[in-house]
Amino acid sequence: MDAFQTLTWEDAWYLAPEIVLSCFTILLIALDLLLPKRVNRNVIGWLTLAGLLVAGAFVVILMTAVNGPETDSASGTRVLLGGSYQLDDFGNLLKLAFLGASAFIVFSSLGTVRDEDVPIKGELYYLVLPAVLGAMVMASSADLITLFIGLELLSITSYILVAARKSSRISSEAAFKYVVTGGVASAFVLYGMSFLYGITGTTNVSLMRSVLASTSDQFEALLYVSFFLMIAGFAVKLALAPFHAWASDVYQGAPTPVAAFLAVVAKGAAFAMVYRIFANTFTSGGGLDGAVREDILLALSVLAAAAMIVGTVGALRQRNVKRLLALSGVANAGILLIPLSTLFANPMHESLVSEFIYFLVAYAFMNIGAFTVLTIVSRDSGNESLSGFSGLYHRAPWTAIAMTVLLCSLAGLPVTGGFFGKLFILFGTVQVHKYWLAAILLVTTVISYAVYFGLIRQMYMRSGSLDSGLRMTVPAAIVIGLCTLATLALGFLPMPILGWINDIFSVPVDLVMFQG
Amino acid sequence: MSMLSSYLTLAAVLFCIGLYGVLTKRNAIIVLLSIELMLNAVNLNLIAFSKYGVQPSLAGQIFSLFTISVAAAEAAVGIAVLIVLYRGRASVNVDEFDELRG
Repeated sequence: MDAFQTLTWEDAWYLAPEIVLSCFTILLIALDLLLPKRVNRNVIGWLTLAGLLVAGAFVVILMTAVNGPETDSASGTRVLLGGSYQLDDFGNLLKLAFLGASAFIVFSSLGTVRDEDVPIKGELYYLVLPAVLGAMVMASSADLITLFIGLELLSITSYILVAARKSSRISSEAAFKYVVTGGVASAFVLYGMSFLYGITGTTNVSLMRSVLASTSDQFEALLYVSFFLMIAGFAVKLALAPFHAWASDVYQGAPTPVAAFLAVVAKGAAFAMVYRIFANTFTSGGGLDGAVREDILLALSVLAAAAMIVGTVGALRQRNVKRLLALSGVANAGILLIPLSTLFANPMHESLVSEFIYFLVAYAFMNIGAFTVLTIVSRDSGNESLSGFSGLYHRAPWTAIAMTVLLCSLAGLPVTGGFFGKLFILFGTVQVHKYWLAAILLVTTVISYAVYFGLIRQMYMRSGSLDSGLRMTVPAAIVIGLCTLATLALGFLPMPILGWINDIFSVPVDLVMFQG
Repeated sequence: MSMLSSYLTLAAVLFCIGLYGVLTKRNAIIVLLSIELMLNAVNLNLIAFSKYGVQPSLAGQIFSLFTISVAAAEAAVGIAVLIVLYRGRASVNVDEFDELRG
């Protein structure tokens, strides 16, 4: 690596989405401070939304620029900042997903979150920006230090967001639990990283790969220690069983839009980081191979299986809808981990990242939709229990139908995005002959029908205690509608979308880093 | 290598003490302190590797600088959350933070 590289204008242009988000954050903090108290804080919400959309537009522009014919590098990727940052399709697609998901969440909470619930609403909006910035850094970093900074930027901001219901006792309790579990998880990840650094002498994951190729057999024991510590830390961040106990508590205490943010963006970003680190150190033709790699991938498969089983079975007995969605998120995190555990299996499984991204996008839409419906319903009924949904069809038929579609997608019924997401991952698992994992995926899916149909039964078959119509807000209605339509679109057009991701994507080029 | 292994042992002991503290202590402030202990164990590890490692390099020292500043930010947020929590309950006993349950 060269001694010092100055930041050129060209680099700054490639970092435009990140720079836009940081500028918007600083401006909105100042604006929130200077605006008189009587001004409605929805202004900040709209500006946050604008920031997210501008950053998203830049990501799209950069994505076409990097993939366009005028690029000099054949790989279609750009390495920035001394090899610590990489612009590629894996990062860009995930950045788009994170920005879109956050924009939906911010938009749905405009006018929906009540003042008595979240007294300082400006913070709820503008703190989303640094959190998404952290997620974006995690999606395209190639260096352990930058990955860690991204992770902490996201985590520390989410701690504050969880505590946003200042007057609520359970909100601050949830935030404290999140701080403690999150801090311990960070310590585990870091401790694992420190051993990886000690073995290779570098923090850059692509340099690490070439060093590991020659030295991995000397340090087998340390490699096991390092990777299992990291897996334990990441499993907490991803809420994989048996490290998932915090998730239902934190989601229950957090404001509902923040819970959606944690379920979609925070989880997706942690997955991005896991894929980056593992795919880079495991690459065939360099990096780890042999027994160590097989054992680590087996550990990931076992974690995925445990998460699917524990999440689904736990959700069966759950009466609180927020906790139910948290546990369904645990099960879905297990499913999202499956493609990684098929990495570099024999026979080679090429399309695993496309499957992962497809299901992540489907998961994002169905979760944001379901959480938004929950926000509206719990605002009306005053609690988050299952009974709040009873008779929803008779009060608000369209909301009930939308929720039914979203729940069918969560359950994995055709014709929805969730169905095809699960189907693609199932095919991938069978393709690499991991039949036991495929069997667990199928069985837990069938069990999960009971969970989601319980909710659907409440909406259609029971008569509710409330007779008046549901008080819907316009932004929330739009978000629910869009999420439902997107879920259906992913269900009706799965092959074009998956084909498009497959076209622009290949693991060796876009996920694995090459030091230029 | 003997220097390295003694530093690594010390870091491992610190990490375990920290983890033990997080899991068993009742006082919320001690819990936060224990997390700091775990993060400092990591710093010790990084610096030991950057001086006595198989491939010594400066990256470990730089990594530890980042870890220290991030740990400070995390502690600040942790204490702030704890103050909000204390206002509501007038207690820092972790055993009493039990209102969230399914």
